[in-house]
Amino acid sequence: MASPALTAAVGEVGKGFIQERSSDTLPCQATDKLFCWDWASEHIDRYGTPTLQHLELVAISVLIGFVVAFSLALLAHRHRWLQPPLLAGTGVLYTIPSVAFFFLLLPLTGRGEDTAIIALSAYTLQIIFRNTMVGFANVPKAVVDAARGIGQTDRQILWRVELPLATPEIFAGLQVATVSTVAIATLAAFAGGGGLGEPILKGGISFKTNLIIAGGIAFLIAVSLGLILFAAQRLLTPWRRARQT
Amino acid sequence: MPSEEVTDRRPSSGASAVRYAGATKRYGHSAVAAVDELTLEIPAGEICVLVGPSGCGKTTAMRMVNRMVEMSAGDIFIGERSVRDLSPAQLRREIGYVIQQIGLFPHRTIADNIAAVPQLLGWKKDRTRARTTELLELIGLDAELAERYPAQLSGGQQQRVGVARALAADPLVMLMDEPFGAIDPISRERLQNEFLRLQAELRKTVLFVTHDIDEAIKMGDRIAIMREGGKVAQYATPAELLMAPADEFVEDFVGSDRALKRLALMRVADIDLWEAPLAHVGQATAEVRAKLAEPTVEVPYPLLVDSERRPLGWLSERDLAAEVVPSKPDSPLGPLLDRDDIMRDALADLLQGEAQYAAVTDAEGRIAGVLSVEIISEFLASPKAKSEEHGAVERPHG
Repeated sequence: MASPALTAAVGEVGKGFIQERSSDTLPCQATDKLFCWDWASEHIDRYGTPTLQHLELVAISVLIGFVVAFSLALLAHRHRWLQPPLLAGTGVLYTIPSVAFFFLLLPLTGRGEDTAIIALSAYTLQIIFRNTMVGFANVPKAVVDAARGIGQTDRQILWRVELPLATPEIFAGLQVATVSTVAIATLAAFAGGGGLGEPILKGGISFKTNLIIAGGIAFLIAVSLGLILFAAQRLLTPWRRARQT
Repeated sequence: MPSEEVTDRRPSSGASAVRYAGATKRYGHSAVAAVDELTLEIPAGEICVLVGPSGCGKTTAMRMVNRMVEMSAGDIFIGERSVRDLSPAQLRREIGYVIQQIGLFPHRTIADNIAAVPQLLGWKKDRTRARTTELLELIGLDAELAERYPAQLSGGQQQRVGVARALAADPLVMLMDEPFGAIDPISRERLQNEFLRLQAELRKTVLFVTHDIDEAIKMGDRIAIMREGGKVAQYATPAELLMAPADEFVEDFVGSDRALKRLALMRVADIDLWEAPLAHVGQATAEVRAKLAEPTVEVPYPLLVDSERRPLGWLSERDLAAEVVPSKPDSPLGPLLDRDDIMRDALADLLQGEAQYAAVTDAEGRIAGVLSVEIISEFLASPKAKSEEHGAVERPHG
């Protein structure tokens, strides 16, 4: 976090915000208080746009990540030899430090939302790909054998048997990918991608009220999206709740 | 479209003979074939059990029929048609498939599981629903269970559903790979009996794989004993197999207790029973004693019967010491057998009751004769009995 590039970026973007802040005369923000309620209630509206941007970043990135990773998983499911290279490839993407990833992309794709989405999507690939493969692997062999034995084609087995049975793992992957994307998306601001990272960047790390509000909103987004996905998974897999009576 | 043919077929109408014609399976470039030029004919409507030690190729031989394993050479015919004439998926929709691990779809309800093949064949909803209901009844499963998921059923119930799923589209042939192997012994026996009862009605051609010779003897109309390398050591009816094993391998596989196993194939009525001197309540004991003194007497104890010749009990020396035969005999009746009982069970009753003799009754409960351990052992020892056994063989029903 202490790379010179980062410090420079913070200083640069932060300047305007601090000046703006110093023109205010509220006493609280000058102090070292943890949370300034008056400031918060007066400025809460300035988080509206970053919140929507954040949601948009997460939704688009996870969607793209899911489409790509899921397609790769289907491919690797049919052609087993693709599994190790794809796992390694998505793994390498996953290990690139996030801030570095944004800056690496800048010369290629320029500042803006696109760059942020590319990086964020890339991060979801590994989790979604791996979980989908785990889901396929966990489908009982006997069920697939029976499906083939009663005359289902490979495509029917995939869509009617394997995918439904892999749903819990696929959703678990989506859940982790979504929650972590909510967190990483706060760094999109470095690439000019907007989101909740922007107020943090502008406000600097010393103004705690700002940090708490932006961080709190990100936290709430992560929790709600996680819960929504969990609920969706439960709705889609009613058989898992059926118990012996 | 072959699938349309299937749609048109009336339920419970079809069963085709299965003919292996030099069917061979070789994996890779292995010198030893998994199944080596198998030639075997299973008549329509019969259960053929493929049995043998593990690695003998019995499962491979079975799975070649629905092309879950593709043959390397030779051919297999269902009726007149080669299994290669259809695409594997189409072929399999005409063949019932039951496996040991059951393999029900955990995410589908029981009704949907049973309806799996009709759905693949594109049956109309009404027809599928009617067939599902019919099958639930056939396998003796409560209609309430139709909307449950497999995990909510016991293992035995699940395998019943597995059989129902295989029967749903009224297949020409059923393949059953150790279908009852993973089920506890008591449920297994019940499932075996239920399946035999179903089979008596449906008369499907069934290929049944097991490693258990007792199950093979119980289930099979014919048994193919297989040895390593997918060769058939002997293909015969259960009785022939027990009586005249083709070689040492078969003899070993059938086991040293094959004499006892033969009893599982017979009923009490198949053997010549002894006659006990009968006594009636109120009869003079002198008369009874006179009967006992006859040199031809086979059972040395008089059996007390009522006016309908239904056995009441055995008379003891003390009973005979009185003037007339008492209404309550001194010795209890002990094991009471039915002419239709399986001989093996009858022997078990005799041994368990520690009784020398057991009264055998007919369907009306009237005395038909007396069975003793001695009769059974003499029967098993006599060569004459062995030749008679052919005609005596009948399938045991539970």
